[in-house]
Amino acid sequence: MDSSSYLIELHHLSRRFGPVEALREVTLQLPPGRIGLLGPNGAGKSTLLKILMGLLPPTSGSGRVLNQPIGASTFGLEAAVQLRRLIGFMPEADALVPGMRGVDYVAFAGELYGLPRKHAQRRAHEVLTYLELEEARYRRVEEYSTGMKQRVKLAQALIHDPPLLLLDEPTSGLDPAGRDAMLRLLLELGRDHGKSMLLCTHLLADVETVCEQVVIVYQGQIRGQGSVRDLCARRHDRYRLQLQGDLAVYREELQLEGVKILHDNGQGDWRVQVPEGWVTRAFFALAENHQVIVRGLQRDDESLEEMFLRIIRKDSSA
Amino acid sequence: MPPPSQEMLLKYRPWRGSFHGPSRAVWAIARVALGQMVHRKMFWSMYGLSLMIFLFFFFGQYLMFWLDTQISSQTFSGGSLFRNVPTQGLITFLKRGAQLDGSAQTFGNFIWFEGFIVVIVLAFVGSVIVGNDFHYGSLPFFLSKPITRWHYVAGKCLAVALFVNLMTTLPAIVLWVQYGLIDDFEYFIDNFHLLLGILGYGLILTVTLSLLLLATATWLRRTVPMVMVWMALFVLSRSIGRGLVDGMRFDPRWRLIDLWNDMYLIGHWIWGTPHQQLRPLSQAQPEYWQAAVVVVALWACCVVYLHRRIQAVEVVS
Repeated sequence: MDSSSYLIELHHLSRRFGPVEALREVTLQLPPGRIGLLGPNGAGKSTLLKILMGLLPPTSGSGRVLNQPIGASTFGLEAAVQLRRLIGFMPEADALVPGMRGVDYVAFAGELYGLPRKHAQRRAHEVLTYLELEEARYRRVEEYSTGMKQRVKLAQALIHDPPLLLLDEPTSGLDPAGRDAMLRLLLELGRDHGKSMLLCTHLLADVETVCEQVVIVYQGQIRGQGSVRDLCARRHDRYRLQLQGDLAVYREELQLEGVKILHDNGQGDWRVQVPEGWVTRAFFALAENHQVIVRGLQRDDESLEEMFLRIIRKDSSA
Repeated sequence: MPPPSQEMLLKYRPWRGSFHGPSRAVWAIARVALGQMVHRKMFWSMYGLSLMIFLFFFFGQYLMFWLDTQISSQTFSGGSLFRNVPTQGLITFLKRGAQLDGSAQTFGNFIWFEGFIVVIVLAFVGSVIVGNDFHYGSLPFFLSKPITRWHYVAGKCLAVALFVNLMTTLPAIVLWVQYGLIDDFEYFIDNFHLLLGILGYGLILTVTLSLLLLATATWLRRTVPMVMVWMALFVLSRSIGRGLVDGMRFDPRWRLIDLWNDMYLIGHWIWGTPHQQLRPLSQAQPEYWQAAVVVVALWACCVVYLHRRIQAVEVVS
């Protein structure tokens, strides 16, 4: 891939706050698309976002976002303005201006991005209608529900039609229905309208729903990067079994075949992890040999959360 | 199913156009801040009061001039006590007391009174136009846009400046023009320095009050602490200064703690009022330059504080 066609390209980027190294030698090349940025609190996600928005210069290293350079030497006003015009940022905090009506708030954001006032007003109506806030647009933003606040924050990030959206915990505080609606909107924006997005979250399910690519940050370093599909393929296959009969021998036989018993409630309900290439028929074949009846069999794959923790733990112990 | 027109609206539509520079955002920030200010009921009641002060000066100047030119040679009688009292004496008495004669003192007094109303309004709305941005976390909204923190500060300062000048400089200029029109065209030429003085005094008020408002609202954020600190700055410090200098006969430099007086002194410095003619004549005053040093030092403190407090890196928490 040509270097100019990357969405984000970072080379040995580090950022130090006194003795604390928030980012360490981060090297990253991400193509346009929907990207999830995962990591626990204090992993360095926020520092990375600040650097990508041109709000904070890196201590060392260089990079480009949408072909705009980021780095100490290019940290002038003009460079920062150019960069931030290409980015729509949805902060995690409420970031609302109390007393303003929804439509005025979004139009105001447009003017801050540099849109002419009339364009900003017209565009605010369009974006709010698209985000299904047309009926609430004349209400004051502080009267909005959490879901509406999240959508109006997304509206202000979309007002200038940026190619890249930086979304900081966009589903934070939402109920399940609101969360689904928000994720559907984000997916639609990315898939149908070609918006690239960097979804910064600790909710893996959000990344799984919306993103194609995922970057895992931990202790200021990139611990994993790849497509969500590949990451999911690294999941361990797991099953829930409900059994009846002489389970001691059956257990030994399964373990000899490489099956790990993760949980046993002592009443025949097991949770097992199977090796690669395992076929479910083997459960029944072994059971038949040992007079065990398989009363229930259900897939119970490792969740993304569990997998994420496993990857991090493995890296830490290494 | 929505009708075709609505269906089109519900689709995301791209925008293609050219962007303005970040300096345009300054005006947008100022406009929104002014909107927040005028939405307070208190603003309108105080504005009404300031209008009354203006009308007092406006018609007072006219009345004094009329008395001087029309009936100064006459006498008047009232009851058994006042018989054939020369009007000129009364006019002179009123002129000395009210100073409504288009002089530097007239404009100084006018801006002094209006300034108090400005201070009261700003103490109450400071938390709305600036403090809320910190209290409700709106700062990331501003600083994530293609502007710097100084555009944000400039926008808020512009809003305060427009308000301050609307209440002080603009009506003072109207009074200057009025006096020129009722007196003689020569007044405009002879007293052009007064116009410059009005603009200069307005500038001092604008810069001082806007920087002070931003700094204190950034620090305190809420209305009640803001009002308390502003009252301490403009009322308590004034009382202490008077007590020390006039009551306890301390060095006049102690009056420098009275910020309002410092700005008044700079205003008269710009007008060229001789130091010994400063009214009230009984009050010992510090030197003009000393007041200027205090005010400039305050500006510097405010700028340094704002530089430290308004950080773009707070955008991502």
